[in-house]
Amino acid sequence: MENFVKKLTKDVDLSFAILLSFCVYVFFALNIEVFFSHNISFAILERFAVLGLVGLALTICIIAGEIDLSIGSNAALCAVIVVKLTDPLGAPLAIIIGLSVSTLIGATQGFVIAFIRIRAIVITVGTLMLLRGVALLIAEEKTVMLTDFRVPDFITTKFFMYFSPASITVIFIFILVGIFMRYTKYGREIYAIGGARKEALTAGIPLRRPMIIAFALSGFCAGFAGTVIGLKSGTAQGLGLQYLLLAGTVAAFVGGVSILGGKGGVLGAAIGALTVNFLNTGLVFYALQVHFVQLFTSVLLVIVIVFQTMSRVFDSRQSRKSLLATIDERKIALLEKKKSSKFGK
Amino acid sequence: MSTIIQDNQQTFSVKFLQFYKDRTLLAILLSLFAVMFVYGIFFTENYLTITNFKAIIRDAALYGIMAIGLTFVTLSGNFFLLSLKETASICGVTFAMGMATGFGSPDLAGNFLVSLLAALAVGIVSGVIQGYFVGMGGNPIVVTLGGAGILYGIGAWWSDNLVINFTRPHDAEWLGTGSFLGLPSITWSFILIAIAAEIVLRHTNFGRKVYLVGANKAAGKATGHENFSMAIIVFTICSVCCAFVAVAFVAQMDSAQSNYFSAEFGSSGDMTILVIATVMVGGNSIMGGYGSTLRTSLGAIFIAMVDNMMVLQGFNSGPRIVGVGLMIVFSIIVFGLFAKGSRAQE
Repeated sequence: MENFVKKLTKDVDLSFAILLSFCVYVFFALNIEVFFSHNISFAILERFAVLGLVGLALTICIIAGEIDLSIGSNAALCAVIVVKLTDPLGAPLAIIIGLSVSTLIGATQGFVIAFIRIRAIVITVGTLMLLRGVALLIAEEKTVMLTDFRVPDFITTKFFMYFSPASITVIFIFILVGIFMRYTKYGREIYAIGGARKEALTAGIPLRRPMIIAFALSGFCAGFAGTVIGLKSGTAQGLGLQYLLLAGTVAAFVGGVSILGGKGGVLGAAIGALTVNFLNTGLVFYALQVHFVQLFTSVLLVIVIVFQTMSRVFDSRQSRKSLLATIDERKIALLEKKKSSKFGK
Repeated sequence: MSTIIQDNQQTFSVKFLQFYKDRTLLAILLSLFAVMFVYGIFFTENYLTITNFKAIIRDAALYGIMAIGLTFVTLSGNFFLLSLKETASICGVTFAMGMATGFGSPDLAGNFLVSLLAALAVGIVSGVIQGYFVGMGGNPIVVTLGGAGILYGIGAWWSDNLVINFTRPHDAEWLGTGSFLGLPSITWSFILIAIAAEIVLRHTNFGRKVYLVGANKAAGKATGHENFSMAIIVFTICSVCCAFVAVAFVAQMDSAQSNYFSAEFGSSGDMTILVIATVMVGGNSIMGGYGSTLRTSLGAIFIAMVDNMMVLQGFNSGPRIVGVGLMIVFSIIVFGLFAKGSRAQE
C-alpha cells in the first residue's frame, strides 16, 4: 500500500488518470439512477473487453516510442476472417486463424520498421489503407454474416454476475501482458527503446526484437478486439471499426502514456479504457447521436493532452529553476569563500 | 587517399548500378512495377485519350490541393494532420449553410463571397487552434486525432447530420462545374495553387524557413525560427487548402453533409489517408526538411492515373484500395531504403 502511494505521488499522469476516471464515474453515477448497478457493471466490463484491448495495443506501441495507426483496419480484417471462416471451420479454428493473421501482420510491420528504420506512423498509414482493401477483398465488398447466430453464444454467457468469457479472457491477457512488460527481459527492452532509443541501441539492445514483439502484441490485441466485436454482432464489414483508433488512443493517453515513449503501463491502460467506457456507457442514457459520443471522447483526449503538455512544461521549468538555483547557490558560496579569504588576509 | 579519389571519380551510372546490385529485390520490384504500369498504359482501352487525361487531372486536383497544403506541414517537420477530412467537412457545411440560409439573415443567402469567407474563416480558426497545441509541444498525430473528433462532432451537430441543399442557379457554379479554356475550374485552381506553392517554397524567406525548421528544429530554434509560430502558420495553410477543396466540392454537388468526405469518398477509401498517401507517394521526407510541392502534385497525378487505370479495367473498390494501398506501402519502403544511411532515418 505504501509502495502504491509512493508510486502515485511520483507518477502524476497515473494519479490524474485515476482522478479523471473517478470523476467521470461519479458524475454519471450521480446523474443516472441505474448507473451504479450490477447490470451496468456487466455492460461496462463487456465494452472493456473491446476497448481495453485496443487501448492496450496502442499503449504497448506508444511505450515503444511509436504509434500504430492501422489497428482499426487490422481489427476489421480479423473480424472479417473470423466471421467468414466460422461457418465452414467452426469458431475455435476460425479464431485461431484470424488471430494468427493479425499477429503476423503486426510482426511484419514491426520488422519493416526496425529493418528500414522509418517511423511507424509512416508505414502504418500505408497499411491502414492496404489492410482495409484486403478486408474488403476478402469480404467481397459485402457485409459478412454468420448463418447460425447461435454459434457465438458462448461469448456472451454471464457468470459470477459481472463476467463473460470475453471479459475474463481480456482481463487474463491484461495480467499476462503486465507481467511480461514488467518482469521479463523482452518487456523491459520495449521500455528501453521507447524511453531512450539511442542510449539503448548503444548499450547493445537490438532494435528488431523489441519492435517486432511490440507490434506483434499490438496486432494480436487489435485482432482479438475485432474477433470479439465480429462474433458478438455476427457480422463484419471491411470498412468498419475505424472508430477504434480514436477510442484506443484516448484510452492510452488517459492511462498516462507519454508520446515520447518509455512511460506508462498496463494498469494505466486499464484505467484509461475504463474511463472511456464510463463515458460511452453513460452517454448511452442520454440517447445522443453517434457524433456526440465522438465529440465528448475527443474532448476527453484534448483535456488529457493539455494536462500532459502543461505538466511537461511545468516540469522542465521547475528543473531549470532548480538548476539555476543550485548554480546561484554555488556562486554565492564561492563569492563568500572569496570574501572570507580576502578578509582573512 | 587514392581510394577517395576513385570514389569521387565513379560516375553516377556506376553508382546507380552498384546500388541495384546491393538491393536486388528492390530492383526487381521496381522494374516489375514499371512493366505493369507501362503495360497498363498501352493495354487499357480509352486510357490514352485527352478526355481521360483531363478526367485524371480533375480527380487529382481535389486531393492534390489538400496534399499541397499538407506538404507545408510535412516539410516543417510536423508529420501530418489526421483531421483533414473533418476540417473539409465542417468548412463545406459552413459554405452550404451560407449559400442556403445566409447564416440566418435572408439578405446574405446565396452570397458567394460571404459564404466563401466564412468557410475560409472556419478553416483558419481550426488550423490556428490545432497549430497552437502542436506548437506548444503536443504531438501532431494525437492533437489532430482529437481535433478530428471535435470538428466532426461540431459539424454534424450544427448541420443536425442532415444534407443541406441549395438550388442550382447559384453564384458558385463557376467554381463547381464551370470551365475555362476547356479545363474545369478546379483543375485551374490546382495548377495555380501548385505553382504558387512552389514559388513560395523556393523563392521566399518563409519557404526557406519551412525547410530550415523541418530539417533541424534545434538549429531553427537557435537562429530564432521557433516551431511555435511555424506550426501555427503551416497548419493554417493546410486547413485553408482543405476549406478551399470543400468549397469547390460543395459548389459542385450543390449540397453538403458532414459525412461527405468520410469513408467511401471517391474510390480509395478515406480522404485523409488518401491525401497523406499522396504526400508520401511523392517521396517527401515525413521527418521534414526534404521534398517539394512539385513532388506532391506529381504524386497526386500518379495515384489518380493508377486508380483511373484500375477503374477502366473494371475492378471493384476492394482491389482498387488494395492497389493504392500497395502503392503507398511500396513507395514508403522504396524511399525508406533509398534514404537508409542518411539523416532521414532518425
